[in-house]
Amino acid sequence: MNHRINRRDFLKLAGLASLGMVVPPSVRAASSRLQTEKKNVLIVVFDALSAYNISLYGYQRDTMPNLARLAKRATVFHNHYAGGNYTTPGTASLLTGTLPWTHRAIRFNDGVKDEFAGKSIFHAFDDYYRIGYSHNTLVNTLFKQFINDLNEYVPQEEFFLVNDGLIRNIFGNDEDTATVGWARAVKRTDGYSYSLFLSLLYEKYRDSKVADTASLYPYGLPNVNNDNFFVLDQSIDALGVRLAEIPRPFMGYFHFLPPHYPYKPHKDFAGAFSGDSFKPLSKPDDLFTEGRSDEFLNKWRIPYDEFILDLDHQFARLFDKLETAGILDDTWLVFTSDHGELFERGIWTHSTAALYQPVVRVPLLIFEPGVQTGRDVHQATSALDLMPTLLHLTGHPTPDWAEGTILPPYAPSVTDPADKGIMAVQARYNDPSFPITEASVMLVQDNYKLVYYTGYEELGQDTERALLFDIESDPEELNELSQAKRETASEMTNIVRKRLEESNKPYM
Amino acid sequence: MCALPLHIWTIILAFRDFDWVTARTNSWDAAGVVSYGLLFALFESVVVFAVLASIGLLASAKWDEKRRIALLSSLVVILSLWSMFNQAYFINEWGVPAWLASLVVATGRPLVALYALAFGPVFITVALPAFFILRSEKFYKGVQEGIERLSLLMLLYFFFDAAALINIIVRNL
Repeated sequence: MNHRINRRDFLKLAGLASLGMVVPPSVRAASSRLQTEKKNVLIVVFDALSAYNISLYGYQRDTMPNLARLAKRATVFHNHYAGGNYTTPGTASLLTGTLPWTHRAIRFNDGVKDEFAGKSIFHAFDDYYRIGYSHNTLVNTLFKQFINDLNEYVPQEEFFLVNDGLIRNIFGNDEDTATVGWARAVKRTDGYSYSLFLSLLYEKYRDSKVADTASLYPYGLPNVNNDNFFVLDQSIDALGVRLAEIPRPFMGYFHFLPPHYPYKPHKDFAGAFSGDSFKPLSKPDDLFTEGRSDEFLNKWRIPYDEFILDLDHQFARLFDKLETAGILDDTWLVFTSDHGELFERGIWTHSTAALYQPVVRVPLLIFEPGVQTGRDVHQATSALDLMPTLLHLTGHPTPDWAEGTILPPYAPSVTDPADKGIMAVQARYNDPSFPITEASVMLVQDNYKLVYYTGYEELGQDTERALLFDIESDPEELNELSQAKRETASEMTNIVRKRLEESNKPYM
Repeated sequence: MCALPLHIWTIILAFRDFDWVTARTNSWDAAGVVSYGLLFALFESVVVFAVLASIGLLASAKWDEKRRIALLSSLVVILSLWSMFNQAYFINEWGVPAWLASLVVATGRPLVALYALAFGPVFITVALPAFFILRSEKFYKGVQEGIERLSLLMLLYFFFDAAALINIIVRNL
């Protein structure tokens, strides 16, 4: 059964937060156990959170002190990779357990190909109560494809301070296009809109609604697409409350926008790193450089790091709420991201063909129900492995479409996912119905990482290019080894070419 | 008459967006975005008309109805043109000339100076035609004739509005 709670219900639930806190955790935990022995699963995704910028993974700025503290109680994966380089392919890989060239959500705001609408993590947990929320529009496009396998789809605007709910309600059968039409008509993007006068009235209305909250955010309010403002505190509070109420066992997927651009930390964190002594490593411009100077990149890195500091605080709040409510006693909690962010080699953000570590290496922490001790996994792992792992941990079989494997500490036999190679794919300039001809493919095997580029204009006369790095001895990817280690580069390139060819076969 | 500039601006920008939306989804959705834009332009026209009608009722009875219509219509057209100019400034990324920028800065109160600079021309272009419509019979007749000719263009946006409404109804069935 599919149903969505309305705004009033949700706010009513949020209002019960304090009541929830006065019930002793032991009572709530016991009540949960009585309901079921099956453990819940909760996946918390922070968008565009690069492992490179997290202090737990060695970053010099102390961006996530709370995560470092909580990590002592978690399995920490130190070399975990996203399936893609931006939200659409990265999230689709997380949710389907397949690579972008398989699920085909490769272009901006694409959905997965039709047959994958019934092949998601939500479908695999069909005996669970499944709930999903995301600030990010691109994730909501995917949710809408998986809607038949979601018991509760919390609409994106539920946590916006001002939202377009009225337009969505009026044009319910065509809400996406109607919302775009509305946005283009009244929301002045870059100073202009279709409307000459209504846009001015709309802005007055919007600003009056967020005036009090805006003063807490010196760099401006966090937002989606310019004026869909939100504050993470509110989303976290409502999530904490909702999880205490929904039927057990549940499988929840919550995808929050921070620290994705625009970087808008709360005033408690804004300015935390400006003027500090940290000097990021200067790296040579890449073939895909956007011509950004180090000064420019370092300037933008600061609010990004401060936004991470903000979300670190919010994640700790969520963790405390869940613990106090006894939910963590019977829940597998996952902390991860869909892709990273780049501030080097003349490139900013993640809309790039270049697949350097900051774009593809993301955090993964798994908190086991009721466990207080931690462990570290240094083998390379993939976002594709998360779905089979969580299914295995909750007594489900691995679905036949999954391309990942069960993660090392939990696998029944000793296997190393890196044996088969960890891959990530960037193919946003291709039509998903046709063979992929312009792409970047990353392959990590043992201590080597190969990035294979094909079909890009930037390659000039060459039709392809492969870069090889020893990421164990050279984690900053400064020494390119494709010439020095020709045999390794050639072997890995052949693997990538073969996999690309195989993935293209159904579309030839 | 008040609907004309609002519709023209929407049509210009919505068709300018057509390729952008098509590239991200498809031309059917792009046509949908244009249709919703026109629907909201129609709504905006009704709002502007309601405001004008209210002002018209408050205006002195010593001016006849046609003169009041001519006055208010020309006000809408002039303000719309200024609003278009304002948006075109951002679309075309025009910059403030260096000499003007330094002049504004030199006043010591740049924001006030900028508002004053903007208000001056807008006030003059609104006040002068209003004055002549009320005082000069020749000017008034000229404006009236202009309004009648421009009103013929209504056929154009009526056609677009009708097509947009049909499209929206079909999309929402």
